[in-house]
Order: sequence, then structure tokens, then C-alpha cells
Amino acid sequence: MNVGLYIHIPFCLQKCFYCDFPSYSGLEFLYADYIAALDREIADQGGLLSNDYVDSIFIGGGTPTILPAGSLTQIMDTVHKTFRVAANAEITVEANPGTMDHAKLLELRQCGINRISFGVQSFSNPILSAIGRIHTAEAAVESIAMAQACGFDNVNIDLMYGIPSQTVSDLQASLNTAYELKVQHLSVYGLKVESGTAFADWQNQGILRLPDEDEEETMYDQAVAENNRHGFLRYEVSNFAQPGYECRHNLKYWHFNPYIGFGSAAHSFVNGVRRANVTSVSEYVQRIRTGRTAVESVECSENETAMAEFSFLALRTVRGLSIAEFNRRFNNDFLARYTSVIEKLKKLGLIEFDGRFLRLTERGMKFGNQVFQEFIL
Amino acid sequence: MSTKNIRNFSIIAHIDHGKSTIADRLIEYTGALSAREMESQVLDQMELERERGITIKAQAVRLEYIAQDGEKYMINLIDTPGHVDFTYEVSRSLAACEGALLVVDAAQGIEAQTLANVYLALENNLEIIPVINKIDLPSADPEKVKHEIEDVIGLDASDAVLASAKTGIGIAEILEAIVKKVPHPQGSPDEPLSALIFDSHFDAYKGVIAYVRVMNGKIRPGMKLKMIATDKKFEVTEVGIFKPYLANIDELGTGQVGFVAGSIKNVKDVRVGDTITDAERPVNAPLPGYRKITPMVYCGLYPVDSADYDTLKDALEKLQLNDASLLFEPETSIALGFGFRCGFLGLLHMDVIQERLEREYNLSLITTAPSVIYRVYKTDGEVLEIDNPSKLPTPQEIDHIDEPYVKATVIVPNDYVGAVMELSQEKRGEFKDMKYLDTTRVMITYHLPLSEIIYDYFDRLKSSTRGYASLDYELIGYNTSSLVKLDILLNGDPVDALSVIVHRDKAAFRGRQLAEKLKGIIPKQMFEIPIQAAIGNKVIARETVRAMRKDVLAKCYGGDISRKRKLLEKQKEGKKRMKQVGNVEIPQEAFMAILKID
Repeated sequence: MNVGLYIHIPFCLQKCFYCDFPSYSGLEFLYADYIAALDREIADQGGLLSNDYVDSIFIGGGTPTILPAGSLTQIMDTVHKTFRVAANAEITVEANPGTMDHAKLLELRQCGINRISFGVQSFSNPILSAIGRIHTAEAAVESIAMAQACGFDNVNIDLMYGIPSQTVSDLQASLNTAYELKVQHLSVYGLKVESGTAFADWQNQGILRLPDEDEEETMYDQAVAENNRHGFLRYEVSNFAQPGYECRHNLKYWHFNPYIGFGSAAHSFVNGVRRANVTSVSEYVQRIRTGRTAVESVECSENETAMAEFSFLALRTVRGLSIAEFNRRFNNDFLARYTSVIEKLKKLGLIEFDGRFLRLTERGMKFGNQVFQEFIL
Repeated sequence: MSTKNIRNFSIIAHIDHGKSTIADRLIEYTGALSAREMESQVLDQMELERERGITIKAQAVRLEYIAQDGEKYMINLIDTPGHVDFTYEVSRSLAACEGALLVVDAAQGIEAQTLANVYLALENNLEIIPVINKIDLPSADPEKVKHEIEDVIGLDASDAVLASAKTGIGIAEILEAIVKKVPHPQGSPDEPLSALIFDSHFDAYKGVIAYVRVMNGKIRPGMKLKMIATDKKFEVTEVGIFKPYLANIDELGTGQVGFVAGSIKNVKDVRVGDTITDAERPVNAPLPGYRKITPMVYCGLYPVDSADYDTLKDALEKLQLNDASLLFEPETSIALGFGFRCGFLGLLHMDVIQERLEREYNLSLITTAPSVIYRVYKTDGEVLEIDNPSKLPTPQEIDHIDEPYVKATVIVPNDYVGAVMELSQEKRGEFKDMKYLDTTRVMITYHLPLSEIIYDYFDRLKSSTRGYASLDYELIGYNTSSLVKLDILLNGDPVDALSVIVHRDKAAFRGRQLAEKLKGIIPKQMFEIPIQAAIGNKVIARETVRAMRKDVLAKCYGGDISRKRKLLEKQKEGKKRMKQVGNVEIPQEAFMAILKID
């Protein structure tokens, strides 16, 4: 079976105010050690998959493009030395507009990266500074255009809605800019205030001003409708793509397919086992350097848990949950197992069933958690 | 040992004035427990008691002490519950003693409950030894506290022991004072047996264990005994003392404090305050002061998951084994299904039972708002005792309703007199008396409906006096009031478990408050939920819980699926704790909302 690789780069110039991902600013002194450790972790684990192809690689963060020139080339070399990478593999790097230049883009192309995902969030300067982004809207436009000029023809833009001071027309303006840039993929996320972030602090102090629920819902509706109108078809709760440009790597998460994570806080899912590496960057480096495993937790899911995960992940996608696949994977009868849940959710107008796939309705997409919960014990 | 060398005493103190710490030091000092066995606050055995810093059940311990006169004394400490809910138990524990330590915080002075308990002790003719504790505090003012004791209680405080239980100062002096001042027990070993039951507990192997103080005669294994009030007879299998763990001895003699076991199965047969006598040679009259305890506060207890009904029933039965004052009987609610109407001595008792059910039996419960017992006089002459608002007859059938009243005593610094009076008036109180305890502290007496006390009087009193006020109350009888039933409708349907009985003049205001509060408690759901408060058919308040607009995890990648799953599990867990009434999911706390307004 083909697998995906996830490579985590836990560094940022500045932590965005909403971000609770395991990435840190001020760790420049660890860059070299970290790259060395990553290199070793990848090289050491190669043997696992001798008969399989890697058909997607995702270098995420953090801000992978923050690394000094040559770092990603080195990592990609090691990946190629270690794994059999399919010729048509999707290889994505996450990029921050504030950290890009022509030379770096060329390096990315030269080391085989063929998809680039820009964390832009908004094309409004006041909003960008209100959420702690280090770049301007102009810089973002310039970076994206530069990437395209360097040959990237599979480009994603991340946008957010429901962020401080944002209005429906702000979001519309950002979407319009994205359409004008002629990218292939859009991710549109609603802000969730996560604990431990600057936003959470401000919310506790009562000084975080977010759009109200009505406005947020309008933003959501608008993003879904506008994307569709511009040929970006929704294929997952928050993801839209021109046909054929769905992110193969992220689909692996939702389709219950295997992936191996490298780097601090990276997650793997192989043979039904979920593993997580240590979150602390220095501990990760230390462990790898001393020949120990970076894995901090291993979860061999019970069948029940696996069925729950399979279900709520599959239901996130527009394709929906394949009854046949569920039954085959778990040697079970989905429709019998969830008869009453399915009835209840149908009655609430949250799901529909075409005989082969169970999927969320438009309304169900909005209330996904209400559906997902029903498949959890 | 001769009764001349026996001393029985209690400790009277306000919460936090250091009763448990003093008890611990006394145990430590006399070596009843080795240092290794000492755990802080030995006598508060229940986990809950430790956490809350209060004593719920009485406990006892025997100390052996060689006094300065060279003689060995057997000193029994009977620890009393420190809360107004348990006044009767306190009075019985005191009746088992000849003396009491009055422990007063050197910085805080006397509080209302302390005062109430001192009066109980004086009624029982106890010798009171004032102890001024926490003298090591920078804000300690022992002289002022001495004056207060003298002015307020009329006790001579010139010999008061100055102590700091924390540092051990004064512990030896306390023991000497007990030996010298507390009278030894009277009574005769040759008289027919009479022993006062001051507490009991249920032991899975031994049955009910009665905690007793022998007044006359003695108890030995093999004797046939009788409990006078319940007329139950049993044969003694074991007698013993508290070290503080139970230790068997051959005989419990006159003046002594200890336990009696005799395969008694039902804790209700062993009532606090009852007298044990010799079945073959009984005393003519019981010891004075016995009364049957009746719960003052009632509420409904329902399992969130109706499948837990039997577990709840078992759990209540088990708790009742140790707590005869807990009453329960099955009841049915349209909204909540099958549950129990439970009677408690007071709010704390209710809280404690509820918490123990949830903690020790892992139950998720819905508690309905507490109610007092209303006496409903119907037009057809029938009189009903109503402890559940939803059982109130229709207004047409009611001639009038009486509700229980209490005499409430509040002690407060004089700056807050206005606040206390304002609050008490608002709570339909009738002013009775006001007395200066010293130049700065005042004792105010009001007659108040008990329902107002259990509603939020104490919380409001605390907040409007910055925590300085202390409160004590006792039931004085029933008075007629103009009362109506306030109903709550969710999504158009009345929810019986949310009904409350309120004073007519306050109904509209309470209705608005309650609707508003519920709006804050009931989470948004996929549809809009109207909340209405109504009296009879008249809707007096309306609020709306707006429909949830969206509920979906936006970001779900990076491969950390476990975390997402856990989020969903948590959300689902929260849902499980809610009660589905019709289409609406109602959180547990909604049923107590009436207590949480303001």
C-alpha cells in the first residue's frame, strides 16, 4: 500500500495569535541540530516500507521555508535515498509569504517539491496584523505570483473566517484576490480560539472582538457558495479544489490511509497504530542524537475506536463514508451497527445515503460534530 | 477506673477556628496515635469532611493522660458536627459530656454558630473552658476576644487558655484545664443501665455500631439490651472504645464513652438521642432530650441516565445505613422519569449526600431545586404536606398555604447592620431583636421563612457583609403565606422538575430571573428553544435560546487524529451529562438554577 510522509518543521519567525500548533519562535539556534536529527530519523526508519511507494509528502509546520538554504534539499535527498518515492508523488511544502524569495523557490522546485501551500489567512493588512501574521497582503500576492513564475502549478492558499474585526466583505475581498491569483486549491477555516494561544488570553480578558455567530455563519455560507461558483469544489469540510487538485496527502488522513510522521510532534498511522513523537523540539533532537526513539505515545486502537475514527474522518469528505469499505476493513455491518443513529441523523436532515456512501448534507457539514459524535462511543 | 478519673468533653468552635487541629494536637500529645499513624485532622474521617474542613458525623476518641497531679486520667473527646444542619446531633453529643472547650479564633471572635452551640452546652450544664486559638496570628487580639466571651456569653474568661494549635502552644494547658475543671461523671455502676446514643455507624460485619455514653450501670458482651424509643432489643456481642479506631474491651463502665455492637441490622433502630437500657432490668424513664429527627429540606434526585436508577436506589440504601436522617422514596417526574424524593436535614446535608452519591457510586445525577414542606389547606378541608412543587393542587382547590419559619440569628460587625436588615426584609423577614455584643459587633434576630434561607439567604448574607456575618437558625413553626407555583416551559412544554413555589409578590421577578438564568445555562441546540415562566396559564416571562449556527471542527489535519477524537468524545461526554426532555437537552445545573440567580 502506498503511504504518505509528513515532515514537521516546528519553527516560526513569530507565533500567530490564533495558533496552537506545535511550532515555536526563537529556536534559531536549533535549526542545524534539528535538520540533522530529522535526517537521521528518516534514514533510520526507511526499512519499514520496502515494498511500498511513497506517493505523497507533506512538509508542514511551523514554517518550513524559514530554514536556511539547502536544508529542505538535504531532507528531500534523504527521503529519496530511504524511500521509493512514486514518480508522480504529490510533494507539498507549507510556506509563509514573509519567508520567501526567488532563490528559495527555485530550491524547492529543484528538490522535487511540486505543490506549495501558502498560509495567507487574509488579504487585508489590518486583519493580518490583528492576527499576528508577519507579512502584508501585498507580500502574499507577490510571493504567490513568484511561486507560480518559478513553475508551481499546484498552489494552495489558506484563508480564515471569523477572525477579529473581519466583515463579510473582507472575506469576500480575500476570496476574490485568491480567485484572481488563479491558484488550484483553497482551504477556508473558521477560527476556533484554542487554549494556550494569545487569542485565548484575550478572550479571557474580554478584549477579543470576534464577528458574531450570524456573521460567521454568513461568511461560511458565502465562502462555500463563492468557491463553488469559481470552480473550487468542496471535497472536505474546509477544503476546496479545482477538479483533480484535491490534496492527496490530506485525503490520506480522512480516508484512513497510512502515513508516517517525522520530526517533533509528528504523527504516524501505520497498520492501524497511531504514534506521536515528542512535542519538545530539544527533547526530540536529544532523543534522536542519543539513538533513542522520538515516539512518545503509541495507540493501538481498539476496533471500536478505529471504527469511530474511520467514520468521522470519512464523513468529513464530500465523497462520504463507503459502506463497503467499512464492512471490509472491520468485518462488520455498518448499516446494522448504526441503524438507529442513521435514522436519527437522517430525520434531522444531517446525513444522506445513496445506497453506497453515507455523507453529510449541506446542513450536516455545518453541524458535523453533531454527526461525528454519534459514531463515537 | 473510677469515674473520678474520667473526663468527657466536646469542642465547640466555628468553622476554621481550629477545632480539628486542636483535636489532632491533643491526640498527638497524649500519644493515642503514633506520629506515623497521625494524619492531619484524624477525626474528620470522610474524604469529603477533610476537603470541606467540616465534621459531618460525630467521632470520638479516648485519650490517656497523666496529669500534673501524677494521676492517670481517661479523657474522652467527642467531636461534634460543626454545621447548623446537624444541631440536634450536636446537642446529643454535648449531652454525653460534662465539659466543653469553647474554641474561639483570636482574630475573628465569636460567631453565630459558636454562640448557638455554647447555649446548647449551657443548657446541658456543661463546664465550659474558653480556649483562644491562633494567638500566633499577627492580627490576634486575645484580650478583645476574652471580653467578648465575657460580655456575650457571660463566662469568666480570665483563665482562658491561650493556644496555637498549629504550633502546639497551650495544648498541655488545655489538658490540665480539662482534668481540673471538667467535673467527673456522676452516676453509679450499681444502678440499672442507662446509656445515651450520640451517634452510630453501619459496619458490614458487625451491623450497626452505636456510639454511647454510659450514664449509669455498665455494658458487657452477652447482656440483653433495649433501646427505649424504638423498643428494639438486642444482645451485646462487642463493646469497645475509640482509640480512635475501634478497640474491643471487656466492659464499658459508668461514665465511659464507647461503642456497642450486637448484630443490629437497621440503623433506624439506633436513633441518636435514644437511651439504651438493660432489657431485664430497665430504667423507668429515658434520658431527657430525645426527639425524632425530621428532614427540613427536600429535593428530587434523578439519574441522568435512566439505566442508573437501580444503582441510585442501592446507593441511597447504602448511605442510609449510616445516616438515619436521610429519607427517600420513589417519585416520578414527567421530565426526568424515575427518581427519588429525598429529605435532608439542611442544604449542606443535601450537598454532601449528592456529592457522595456521585463520587462513591460514580453516578451522574440531576438534583431538583430544594423545597421545604408546605402545609396546604384545601377548600374541602383536607390538609396536605407538599414537599414537591409539582404536587401542589390547582389554585382553585387551595384555601391557604402555610410554610415553615425559622428564628435566624446573625452576628455581624456593626457596619453591616444595614445590609443584614435590608437583606432580611427583602427575604420576607420579621425583625425581632438587635443586641450589641461589644462596641463593634451586633447580634440581629429575625423570623424568616425557611424557604428563603435555603434559597440564597446565606450566600447573599455572606456577600453583603464581605463574609463577616455568621448565621444560625432554628425552626419555630408554620405561618400562612401567599404562595404560588411558578412553572417553566421549554419549547412550549412544561418541565415539572423546574417548578418552584414562590411568594406571590416575587413570582414575576423570580420568573424573569429564572428564565434569564436558564437561557444562560441551556446550551444552543440545532433549533431555537423558547423558555417561558408561567403562573397558572399566564406567561410572565419569556426568553429564547437561539439556535446554534455551526458546530464543526474546521481544521482536521496534521495527522493528529487522536486529539480530534478526544475533542469529540469530550463533547459527547458533555451531552451525556444532559437530560433529554422532549427534544431539548438540559444540563444538570439547570434544575438548580433557581438557587443561583442574582
